[in-house]
Amino acid sequence: MRAMFRAVLHSQWKWSRLIVVLGTVAAFAIPLLSLQGAARADRGALQAPELLRAVQSWGTLYPLLATALGLLMAIAAWAPDHRGRHIHALTLPLARWRYVLLRFGAGFVLLAAPIAGVLIGSSLAVLAATLPPGLQAYPIALAMRFAFAVSVAYAVFFAVSAGTARTAGIILAVIAALILVQVVASMANLNLDLFGAAQTALLLGPGPLAVFAGRWMLVDV
Amino acid sequence: MSRLLGVLLTVSVLASPVSSQDSLIARLRRQADSLLSAWRDAQKLAAVADSLEQVRATAGSDTIAVGGLRIIANPSPLPLREAAERAWPVIDSLYGSAVEDLPRYPFIFRAVDPDSSVRRTVLHVGVELPWDLDVRASTNVLLTTVTAPHFDPALADWLGAALRPTLRPEDERAAVFVQLVTAPSEAVRGCFLGDIARCKDVLQLGDSTGLLARWYVTPAEREALVTGSFTDYFARGATAITLQNCRQHRDDACTALLQALPPGSLPRPLGPAARLVLVREALRAGGRDAYRRLVASPNTAIEARLSSAARMDIDSLVARWRNGVVAARPKPLTLPWWAGFAAIGWTAFFGFCALRSSRWRL
Repeated sequence: MRAMFRAVLHSQWKWSRLIVVLGTVAAFAIPLLSLQGAARADRGALQAPELLRAVQSWGTLYPLLATALGLLMAIAAWAPDHRGRHIHALTLPLARWRYVLLRFGAGFVLLAAPIAGVLIGSSLAVLAATLPPGLQAYPIALAMRFAFAVSVAYAVFFAVSAGTARTAGIILAVIAALILVQVVASMANLNLDLFGAAQTALLLGPGPLAVFAGRWMLVDV
Repeated sequence: MSRLLGVLLTVSVLASPVSSQDSLIARLRRQADSLLSAWRDAQKLAAVADSLEQVRATAGSDTIAVGGLRIIANPSPLPLREAAERAWPVIDSLYGSAVEDLPRYPFIFRAVDPDSSVRRTVLHVGVELPWDLDVRASTNVLLTTVTAPHFDPALADWLGAALRPTLRPEDERAAVFVQLVTAPSEAVRGCFLGDIARCKDVLQLGDSTGLLARWYVTPAEREALVTGSFTDYFARGATAITLQNCRQHRDDACTALLQALPPGSLPRPLGPAARLVLVREALRAGGRDAYRRLVASPNTAIEARLSSAARMDIDSLVARWRNGVVAARPKPLTLPWWAGFAAIGWTAFFGFCALRSSRWRL
């Protein structure tokens, strides 16, 4: 089983190494760039608000990067199978669920590199910067959050990619039905806010996308 | 003889402006007296109108009494009694013995149907409330509309906000912590680091001369203040050139512009929440009669009033305020404990969905 995992990991690395390398470089660079210039002691009392503004602006890139990495890695994991009409997978002496699990696990192993990139980049950025009194750095919390976001994004897109065209059609049909119901409800002047409810369910509380919501701050009070 | 005539003539000519000036003063005084009399009549009429309006607004209403609170409201499902029972201890703990005067300022509410578009009679007394408010919202209404007893204009000017009770004092202190850390002022930063004299400066306690130099210590702060808050104000007319000079990092120009601001319009480096927290600290330290002592002498300097309310010297009070604020550092924006479990759970869920996918691509 271990040899099989190594083989799947190796093939997946070949297909997605560009994504992994570029993602890791971006993940390493964003924290460094976010503190670049703003964390200068010579700005005196103006340093703190400028620093927080810069960190908050750059912070919008972390969830975007996590989503992009999850999406691209999931596509890369399944693209050769889709191209080969899954004949290779069918020929393997392996249950389907085991094969999917190996692909899923291999993707996570490869995503560890960008997560480490965020952790190392954040830690270096914080060590190099002079933070104003009262502000604190949260490199570990940020890297953990990035890890959760990448994992959720990868799992969502992996599940969609692993499904059949019929599954994708069902998902799209459900979304289209929601939009249609909302449009009809608006035209009939009914007090029905499906989009708001969906947003609440997805982004708030323990929703699947809750980890993406809110401010991603490397430095905060 | 002719000399005598000349002297008389000169005296009469010199005296005429004096007498005309005298008559002008008398005329102005009569006008002022007349205005005063008209104002007094208007006051009486306004009082009568208010009284009649109050009678009209409270006709058919019930009175709810909880502690020193008096709530006059029309019958409705509004949970005013429960709200008053929640609000009263908070109000009582802020105003202390001064709550004895609260029954003089009753709340007048009119509960209205939130879904109705039927036109209602306009009342000029009291507040309209939708009758579907819950206890929490009703409590907040009571806390945010209570009349602070004997709240004088000098205290109101310094405070910059109404002194009302709050259900979440820790949030107020956390907001002040953020101000201490992020305000673009070296003086505020000094206060955060423990310089009590700086704290007194930025809280506007004591000497009020030279505030510009004490609040905004460095040239960069003054330039940021001008370019950030007063660009439109100074961009036209005679100050436009000075503004340009200020933008070119000339501190004398920035200082001149800020000194040209009307009195009282120089932005305070700390918002009203900082002073509110200080007053709350003084009232907490001073015991039940603290509020009464605070409002006892409106003409005294604010620091003396606070000191008297808290029964401690102003430096100790400010140090206590600073320690309280520094201890109230807001929670960092890290994920709540359950968010990690939720993310792992969702990852496992979607992974399981993928495992259930079909081997046959139909």
